[in-house]
Amino acid sequence: MSIREKVDEYKKILDIFPNDQEKYQYLIEKAKENDSFPSELRLDNFKVNGCQSQVWLVPEEKDEKLFFNSDSDALIAKGLVTLIASIYSDEKAEDIVSNEIDLMEEFELGVILSPARRNGAYSMLKTIKEYAKKLIT
Amino acid sequence: MSKFKNIKKDFPIFERDINGNKLTYLDSGATSQKPNSVIDKMTEIYKFNNANVHRGTYVLSAETTQEYESVRSKFQSFLNASESDEIIFTKGTTEALNFLANSIANKFMSEGDDIILSEIEHHANIIPWQMVAEKYKLSIKYVKVNEDFSLDLDDLSSKLSSKTKVVSIVGESNLSGMLPDIKEINNLVRANSEALLIIDGAQLVPHRKVDVQDLGIDFLVFSGHKMLGPTGIGVVWGKKELLNSLDPVYGGGDMIEEVHYDKATWAPVPHKFEAGTPPYVEAIGLGAAVDYLQDLGMSEVEKHSDELREYGRKVLLDIDGVNVIHSQETIAGCTFGMYVDGVHAADLSLMLDTHGVAVRAGHHCVQPFHRKLGIDATIRSTAYIYNDKEDIDTLKSALISSVEMLR
Ligand SMILES: Cc1ncc(COP(=O)(O)O)c(C=O)c1O
Repeated sequence: MSIREKVDEYKKILDIFPNDQEKYQYLIEKAKENDSFPSELRLDNFKVNGCQSQVWLVPEEKDEKLFFNSDSDALIAKGLVTLIASIYSDEKAEDIVSNEIDLMEEFELGVILSPARRNGAYSMLKTIKEYAKKLIT
Repeated sequence: MSKFKNIKKDFPIFERDINGNKLTYLDSGATSQKPNSVIDKMTEIYKFNNANVHRGTYVLSAETTQEYESVRSKFQSFLNASESDEIIFTKGTTEALNFLANSIANKFMSEGDDIILSEIEHHANIIPWQMVAEKYKLSIKYVKVNEDFSLDLDDLSSKLSSKTKVVSIVGESNLSGMLPDIKEINNLVRANSEALLIIDGAQLVPHRKVDVQDLGIDFLVFSGHKMLGPTGIGVVWGKKELLNSLDPVYGGGDMIEEVHYDKATWAPVPHKFEAGTPPYVEAIGLGAAVDYLQDLGMSEVEKHSDELREYGRKVLLDIDGVNVIHSQETIAGCTFGMYVDGVHAADLSLMLDTHGVAVRAGHHCVQPFHRKLGIDATIRSTAYIYNDKEDIDTLKSALISSVEMLR
């Protein structure tokens, strides 16, 4: 699936939930499903700055594609980073860098994706793009 | 209670709907909401009176200057200061403490001197001192906090000495609501040192009647925005003779008497500390906030705060799984730090938000205190004059349902 297709898929899912509370609950479910992050990778150099909670993103390259492993000590942030990581995982670095989809515009996710909280989600996206950029250059 | 019954009507923000709920605003420790009288006053100045203060010799400037200066008199009576010249306007508590740290260190301190703070200080009352301590080679000592969140005054006594030049302590804890015994601290400081005593009144002044002469302290600092006023304005109150002896930290227009190319002489207090165009519209707005509080009466404000604190203690202290950081003294502020084992404070506040409940999550700029308690982050509920028991009930039910979802 392309990044666009994955975003559209998630949009469909998120639209099912009538309010922020149920959207957060969905993210909490996603967080709980993501239990594969090795705790020894909770390292400072994998930390995403600018979040309310601690968030980690670890890139991995396989068959010329990038994959992201993610974690957080808070559930909603972990759900969010899991979702974002899955959108950009299994993609070529060039496709991640050139992709211009603005998740803040696409998703309605209450305050966690509102401009006021841009910091957290924005930093997650920035981190992913920076990893991708490093691979190209 | 009657004065407080329909008080939300004075605050237009409470007409808002948050995620389909009414707003339950419990973050006044961060900033307070504003009544119409403050908003209208500032609008009125911009619409009909605006002109720079102290500069013009025309009607508009004369009017704003008069209004601006009259706010000093309002604070003189609000704080029972002996003169209105003892009121200096700053941007807020943070700027006030930076100013005092720099001015006092420059004038009164030298290598090896001590500054005494406490373990529960806000970063605004730590960082400025750390900065001057490094510059002037001073050392900082922190008064211990007891298990019940009170300050260990024996520890204060033992740390005071002839080397102590400044003691700067919070007047009301922004996490536990603890109210230190300022008079007792003042007595200890006078008996054991010649230090200047500064009280960080950011949380205290909005909630309780403060009489600076009765307390006997040297300086009091606080922010306008936490006491119904606008942002960008705060106050340093200081004893006149001390203010006279301190030098300004900022230079510029309006703070001088005479300027030559090689030197200048300072204007008298308070003007020598107010360089440049002051935030006069904000100051005048803050004046309207003081009027509002005076109309309610600070003793009524205290009573209301005490009632909400008692109710908070009754309702919040025994919620299953919720740990509370709150003063155990009889009298304290209506501030409750809270955390749930295994649940992140950020998750909790996001969930509370879906109920329209606004609380702060994080370390609230008291990171060392959190570290000392062994907790990463807390949520904090702070109530003010417009809150009522129903707000505390809403917080409780939202907390219970949020914790359930996050566990
Ligand atoms: C105890 C205390 N001191 C200082 C401050 C800093 O105030 P301001 O940010 O208005 O300068 C605060 C505000 O959070 C506070 O609670």
